[in-house]
Amino acid sequence: MSGRRGGNTIRGPRSALTDFLAANNISAQQIRDDYQRRRQEGEEDAGEGASAQAPQQDDDEALAVAAQAEEDEKQTKKRKRNEKDAIDKIKKAKASKGGKGKKKAKRGDPDLDDDDGEEYEDEFNKKARPAPGQFEHCEVCSKRFTVTPYSKEGSDGGLLCTPCGKEFTKDLKKEQKAAQKQPVSRKRRKMESEKLDGVAAGGAKSLVQLCINRIAQHHDDVEELGDLPENLLDRLSAIFSKKRVMKSKTLPLFLRPDLDAVIVHDAAYLEEEDYQQIFAVCPNMRKLALSNTCQFKDASVDYMLERCHNLQHIQLYAANLVTEEMWHRLFQEAGSKLHTIKLKWLDAAFEDDVVAEMAECCPDLERLKLKLCRRLGEPAVEHIATMKNLKHLSLQIGNSVSNDTLIDLVTKRGSKLSTLSLDKFIDADNEVLQAIHDNCKRLSKLRFSENDTVSDAGFAALFTNWSNPPLTFVDVNSTRDVDNNNPTGPEEVIGVGSSGFKALMAHSGPALKHLDVASCRFIELSAFIDVFNGAQTYPALEYINISFCNKVDTSVTAGIFKSCPSLKQLVAFGCFDVQDVVVPRSIALIGVPRAQDAIEQFGVGIGVEEAIGRMVEVGA
Amino acid sequence: MNDLTEYVTLISSDDFSYVVLRSTACISPIIRRMLDPSNGFMEASTNTVHFDNINGIVLEKVCEYFYYNEKNKDAKDVADPDFPTELCLELLMAADYLDV
Repeated sequence: MSGRRGGNTIRGPRSALTDFLAANNISAQQIRDDYQRRRQEGEEDAGEGASAQAPQQDDDEALAVAAQAEEDEKQTKKRKRNEKDAIDKIKKAKASKGGKGKKKAKRGDPDLDDDDGEEYEDEFNKKARPAPGQFEHCEVCSKRFTVTPYSKEGSDGGLLCTPCGKEFTKDLKKEQKAAQKQPVSRKRRKMESEKLDGVAAGGAKSLVQLCINRIAQHHDDVEELGDLPENLLDRLSAIFSKKRVMKSKTLPLFLRPDLDAVIVHDAAYLEEEDYQQIFAVCPNMRKLALSNTCQFKDASVDYMLERCHNLQHIQLYAANLVTEEMWHRLFQEAGSKLHTIKLKWLDAAFEDDVVAEMAECCPDLERLKLKLCRRLGEPAVEHIATMKNLKHLSLQIGNSVSNDTLIDLVTKRGSKLSTLSLDKFIDADNEVLQAIHDNCKRLSKLRFSENDTVSDAGFAALFTNWSNPPLTFVDVNSTRDVDNNNPTGPEEVIGVGSSGFKALMAHSGPALKHLDVASCRFIELSAFIDVFNGAQTYPALEYINISFCNKVDTSVTAGIFKSCPSLKQLVAFGCFDVQDVVVPRSIALIGVPRAQDAIEQFGVGIGVEEAIGRMVEVGA
Repeated sequence: MNDLTEYVTLISSDDFSYVVLRSTACISPIIRRMLDPSNGFMEASTNTVHFDNINGIVLEKVCEYFYYNEKNKDAKDVADPDFPTELCLELLMAADYLDV
């Protein structure tokens, strides 16, 4: 027998069981005393209750006492019942196991009261965890497995085999995560993200938005989308793409034989069979817009050419597995009907001669967007210059294109163009702008960004005395001199500067909807104040981006709020002098630093006048 | 009838009627135009609008949404209203129709 050590002597009756309990620091004596005490208390209460009921007393007090006694009795009865239930449960559980051990202990210990023995034996004669190396049945799947030190315990106390154990911990982790409170910063980030998406951050969301969110949440359970109109279908597919659930399973929801357009904003999870399905279900489509179509291969293009004879608009972003010959074939066979081609992110194939093919086979082409196609260069631009019906042209070509070619392009096509977007043509110079000035008479959207050659004077010349009507969309972001050794810029201002900006606003102010002068850091504060002086209004202006124009300060913001009655979004990243802004109703201010929750960043029920008033107070 | 009544009635395709405040119903620009007396629609004179394409359950949720919207118009960080997921698609179509 173990445990005959100095400090561990046990008084009173001993058995193998008591020795075991002693080894585990459990005092059998204490348990017995507790039990005795509880039994006695129970008997006393019962006795009291009975004696209170016997004498017939009309006294209120006596009744109250009786009531109290009854309560106590009830409680003790309940306690006893609970105890009894617990004991019964343990007894039942012990019925199958450890019967042998129990009998042994009982026989070896006649002095102990029967009830006592049962009770604490039950409670503490729990089945010990089998040692590693022994076999045990899994609680969940009842398979036999070998116990290891890493075996997990299941919810009922039994052990789980390895796969069930893994499942169990995974579920547990999920539960814990769900129960965890989201940190406050996450909430703020979500709010900013919603603002950038155009979803109103203040006030109630629109019902359409709420429904779309809910459907996206339960994307697994949606079986079909019924007769939703195409615009809603598009919004839904956008949200599905955003949440990365546009997969083989959810794609069929968006395919219907009567659809005119198939738009998938993120086709990264789609594979060949899915593309086959698209063309099989919607052969009458006129518009195909697939972004991130990494798995779009030659076979799919082939099937598309076979099935879809009405294609007018093709938009394929990142279709890098399509080979050169296939592109040629595509334009040869489908080119005659195409009037919109938008291609981005083509690195592996798509050379200049495909553009030549395009120019030849697509006489009706009106919209062309070629961005980030790595193999295109100057010859491509030359071929584009021959496309006679171009109305909207958007180019971003990495390889260098000479100014002469650009000027040639603008001269030949400028008169018909209503959209011209020349992105990242770093070396384009004042002559190109001059060509635009001379040839473009009906432009409404102009982008000329990421350039460090054109001077402020060049921009001013463009917008002064220009016979083109006011533009609705102007994007001249990142037109500035980039020289780390000379941060304040050269003497003669490069890029959009004060005079260029003022000329721009003077020319296009009345009709301008979208203005982007981000990173034009040489525009002076005086120019901003002049343009947004509160007296002059720009009725159509809805979106302004003045990020990284670090001369902007709070008064400019106030002026903007006053001068732009239709303003919806003002993006001002990196404008460190803009502080303590009070934003009027329905305007979203994005990107201002040191924004705390106390400073309202989205308009909440305040009119413009009041907002400006408050800002002036704070500034004063 | 020069004064506009405070309450208007919206009737669903299965003949359920919902009486709501005019201001809440007019959160939907479609309803507002229908009830505007200067447009001369029958709905304006009777202050009642029939929706043949929206059923009772969906219309009830729409009315709830009207009140939720008006109550939280100027508030910040409002909780999203609760509605059963099964109703979602029909509710989406109704919301799109009412432009709300």
